[in-house]
Amino acid sequence: MDSLIKEFRAAYADQLGNDLAKTLTPDVPNNAAQLMSVWESGNSQSVKDDLKFLFVRDKSARLNMSSEEAVGWQEIYYSYWKALGEILAAEGLRKSRVKVRDHPNQWLIVSLVSPSEPLSTSKSPWSINKLTCRILTQTSWTSVYEAWKELTSQIIRGYTNHEFENWTIPCLYVAGKYMRLYAMRADAERGSNGDEMVTNFQDDFDPETEKHKSLEDCARQLNRIFNLCLSDRAPLSESRKWGIYYAINLLFKTYFKLNSAALSKNVLRVLSAGRGDMPDFESFPKSQQVTFKYYEGVLAFLEENYEEAERHLTLAWLLCHKGATRNMELILTYLIPCHLLTTHTLPSAKLLAPFPRLQALFLKLATAIKKGDLRGFHQALQEGEDEFVKRRIYLTLERGRDIALRNLLRKVFIAGGFIEGAEGGAQVRRTRIPVAEFAAAIRMSGGQDIDTDEVECLLANMIYKNLMKGYIAHERGFVVLSKNGAFPGTGV
Amino acid sequence: MASTSTPKPDEKSSTPADSKPEQSQNTKTAGALEEDDEFEDFPVEDWPAEETEAANQQGNTASGGTAADHLWEESWDDDDTSDDFSAQLREELKKVDAAKRR
Repeated sequence: MDSLIKEFRAAYADQLGNDLAKTLTPDVPNNAAQLMSVWESGNSQSVKDDLKFLFVRDKSARLNMSSEEAVGWQEIYYSYWKALGEILAAEGLRKSRVKVRDHPNQWLIVSLVSPSEPLSTSKSPWSINKLTCRILTQTSWTSVYEAWKELTSQIIRGYTNHEFENWTIPCLYVAGKYMRLYAMRADAERGSNGDEMVTNFQDDFDPETEKHKSLEDCARQLNRIFNLCLSDRAPLSESRKWGIYYAINLLFKTYFKLNSAALSKNVLRVLSAGRGDMPDFESFPKSQQVTFKYYEGVLAFLEENYEEAERHLTLAWLLCHKGATRNMELILTYLIPCHLLTTHTLPSAKLLAPFPRLQALFLKLATAIKKGDLRGFHQALQEGEDEFVKRRIYLTLERGRDIALRNLLRKVFIAGGFIEGAEGGAQVRRTRIPVAEFAAAIRMSGGQDIDTDEVECLLANMIYKNLMKGYIAHERGFVVLSKNGAFPGTGV
Repeated sequence: MASTSTPKPDEKSSTPADSKPEQSQNTKTAGALEEDDEFEDFPVEDWPAEETEAANQQGNTASGGTAADHLWEESWDDDDTSDDFSAQLREELKKVDAAKRR
């Protein structure tokens, strides 16, 4: 604990927010030994005393902080120490110290064992042990989550009650980030072992809310952080508003996981209402800008505002770190369907080259669209259906069929060749095309029969959507295409 | 509030060089749980303009043509009508034509 506080003091003296946050980061995979030594530095009482001494009485190392603030930090580090204990136990690094007696959920054990089967009867000790162990593992990440939530509350209190300054906000980031991870682990853990345990003890059991119980609670806590940042009225240079995008990004991730993207829209509304007195978006770190723009873009995408979505996603794409392949892949997953609808463009082989996953997702579809291959398009859409639906791009991609059809009709037009221009002028493309030709092309490309009425209907739709210019002379069975720009934007 | 550090937390921005390996570690620890379509945390908080994708594209441009333009291409085939599909189409259209003349 001493060494931890030493780090705290160094970071505090130089006002290095990220270093400070590091002292509260339970990065077990990279730092297990150090975290263990912090945890083992004492028991509940001695750690409490140590911290009191270090923060309040130790005048020699008194930092330039009010006693009010010192109390705040003291409480934070005590909560952190307690949370560490839970984390190390859940990670399986603290086996020796796990005692049933210490466990907050010990009543579970009692109630499981005692009502039906008194300890003294038929149950062998082995089966009781097994039961106990199960309960311990079952609830361990939930305990971690609860302990970490307590720490988060302490940190929030630091800002509301203990005069913490805004350069310390990376501590809030760490708190929020890990809280969300632990909430998800707790939910996953409850999902994987023994739902029946839970059902046994709750009358009003609802499996859906139960599944995301911790994460939903987490969303509420993150909202507190969001409001803590948003509501700060201090001048910008010392405002917690600098934490706003980090908080929002955590909220977005959480809401998406909870499948309530609509709640993200609320956040955006609140944000745009207060945008006037917010720091410039460009002055936030790029990691926050890119993440925010990605989610803002996806939200617009889900509402079918494709042009807006394209704007946000393009910005995210351009600002993204060039080495962050996975994130670029995610941005493109939505940007590609946007492009297809807004500008009718497709990703080039060069764009897709570094992303095999995107190639698998889009290449077949893109080829079919380009060729005007209706059957190929249908197949590609069907093959990718599960993945497309999961990524919520199926309906958007389906609209690519129009583009495929447009390309097919365009081919018919081009295959029609040229005829003599009026009054011996230059040759012009043939613009009077029999519906039967279009029908033949669609039949061939689609691989199934289609009657003329249906073809005319498709053609009428193309004209309506401004993908083709002209009119249908129904009685005479002709389509008369515009002489200049029969297929807008495609050079003919 | 001392003015030595602005609240913009960019003290780490000078370490982006070794970003790759760290990232893969992140995905391993958190990845087990996270749904695969979740936007990942960046290993560094901020990076200079030279390390953005935009700069990356321009870098390519310098060495060969206008790269940014090549990333998106028109959705229609150029007028190269020699592929199988077009040939087949022409055959079909000829049949239509023949049927009409009969």
